Amino acid sequence: MPALSRLALVKLPLGSDDADSSASHLGKALRVRGRLDTSGIIHIYGKVVGQITADRLVLGADGYVEGDVVANDVRIGGRFTGRIFARHVTLDSSADITGRIFHHTVTVAKGARIDGRMPWRPLNYFETLEHLREAQL
Amino acid sequence: MNMFTRSDKVLDQSTQNTNGAMPAREKAESPAPTATDVKRPYASPQPISDVGAPHARTASVISKALKITGQLESTEDIQVDGEVDGDVRGHSVKIGSNAKVKGSVYGEEVELSGTIEGKIEAKKVVLTSTAHMSGDVIHQDIKIESGAFIDGHCRPELGKSTSKAVHAAAKPVVAASVTPVRDKTPAEIGPRA
Repeated sequence: MPALSRLALVKLPLGSDDADSSASHLGKALRVRGRLDTSGIIHIYGKVVGQITADRLVLGADGYVEGDVVANDVRIGGRFTGRIFARHVTLDSSADITGRIFHHTVTVAKGARIDGRMPWRPLNYFETLEHLREAQL
Repeated sequence: MNMFTRSDKVLDQSTQNTNGAMPAREKAESPAPTATDVKRPYASPQPISDVGAPHARTASVISKALKITGQLESTEDIQVDGEVDGDVRGHSVKIGSNAKVKGSVYGEEVELSGTIEGKIEAKKVVLTSTAHMSGDVIHQDIKIESGAFIDGHCRPELGKSTSKAVHAAAKPVVAASVTPVRDKTPAEIGPRA
């Protein structure tokens, strides 16, 4: 667990400036259809269908995301369908994932449900992800 | 070792009870109940927010760093400080002073301090001194602070039938906005909206 929290603290190039003002919180009742783009943190407790680009994404236990996620750090506690491209991925025990998780490091809690592949990628893969994203997604 | 016990968990407990290696595995599995206990708190909305949700009380916050292209819909409050290219629907919607919305904003209450290019449709509309509104405002009750910018019509038509709306549009805006609203009982207003 200490190793895990250290991971979460790793500051990566995209970096969030001021955590407080760059943190977005999508509440339980919120439904979003479309594209979300941020250099900060997104907490999702509602439902999002679409693409998400963020420094850090936290999907709460009751949250649902369908689509592709590009981020430095991803933590999933809810339902996810699609692809994740992230350097560091944490799957909580309540996670329910269908799709692929492209990662450099991954932590999976006991109880997490994963249906799909979890391909490892070197760190430089994620550096070029911005271009990849435009081309592939 | 850990990896194996984890993936074999289900088999271990149900089908492989005769396995000689079982006792050792059983030991490894013994923390299992606590692990499932850990799962329970995550089922409630709060725990993950220790990961650092500063806006736990507000229903939804679109921070200044966030850009959304698409629609937002909520039955609760929404605070927009970032950029939204699309429609926003919520109960009480606040558009912060540096926020920008291109699209329609619907709600019971809409408070605008930033910029909207589109439309506002709400029972109660507040345009603060920093508001920049390009488009029509359809409301029952409106407050406009000095300094607010509006390029569009203010129509007190919300919840009225279309025939009435045409008449209302012909009336002077301010008079129409104040009088009909005050005369109505909440019961009259409610079902129409």
